[in-house]
Amino acid sequence: MLEDFLTAARARAPEPSEALMARILADADAIRPRRAIAKRSLRERFGTLFGGWQGIGGLATATAAGLWIGYAGIADPGTLSGGLVEPGAETVELMPGADVFALASAVEG
Amino acid sequence: MAFDAEDDRTDEALLALYGRGDAAAARALAFRLTPRVLRVAARMLGDAAEAEDVAQEAMLRLWRIAPDWRSDGAKVSTWLYRVVVNLATDRLRRRRSVPLDAVQEPEDDAPGAVGRMIEADRAAALEQALLELPERQREAVVLRHLEGLANPEIAAIMGVGVEAVESLVARGKRGLTKALVDRREELGFGND
Repeated sequence: MLEDFLTAARARAPEPSEALMARILADADAIRPRRAIAKRSLRERFGTLFGGWQGIGGLATATAAGLWIGYAGIADPGTLSGGLVEPGAETVELMPGADVFALASAVEG
Repeated sequence: MAFDAEDDRTDEALLALYGRGDAAAARALAFRLTPRVLRVAARMLGDAAEAEDVAQEAMLRLWRIAPDWRSDGAKVSTWLYRVVVNLATDRLRRRRSVPLDAVQEPEDDAPGAVGRMIEADRAAALEQALLELPERQREAVVLRHLEGLANPEIAAIMGVGVEAVESLVARGKRGLTKALVDRREELGFGND
């Protein structure tokens, strides 16, 4: 006997109304995670600000170099490259004869 | 069941998509899961308006947990059934002060008309008898015999062992039978 009642109840199951479905879908939309923008972490935003990991790498290198120069107290920063550049290449004449033009210009006045 | 005719993706896959902002996944989940949630709430509470409120609240909790959902083998439907059962139980406890006589009787304009009740009357009689069962028995019977869930899943939903579920279902069915026997003649089972 009980099975007949259970069968009848299963056949007469309540169905969600359109209004209920609308409310549920409105809730889902209201709290739906907005992808990308909302999900980006502080670290990601910081990285983007300085040009990604390449930018941060360059910035870190420059910062480390600055700290080293400041800590070492080098009087003449020009000597920093002394060990890397050959002595003969210290002066390069980019405009041969430029001093003559400069002298002529000064004389003509 | 984690599948339906319109969308063969699992509940878990759809929830993960919604958690990443997919609106269509929410729609598929809502149409798949809301009927189940509403059925359980209605059978537990015996009140259509309250059942709708519970269904909406349960689905709201599902939307909220989506970004943090970690499957770990757990089924979305099991989690959701547990939420519904707990919400319905909370409401039942709040209305404890209401005497049983005040619970609305199902409409029953022509009982036993021409010696035979229609199916709707049997369903209404069962729903009324369900409301007279102790809450835990009612939960177990609804999940087992109206939702068609297996005992291990019901055990997970109710937070008890499988043997306890079997016991609750058995006692619930005995209680239902006893309540319905009194109306047997009236409901067209006099000659069964």
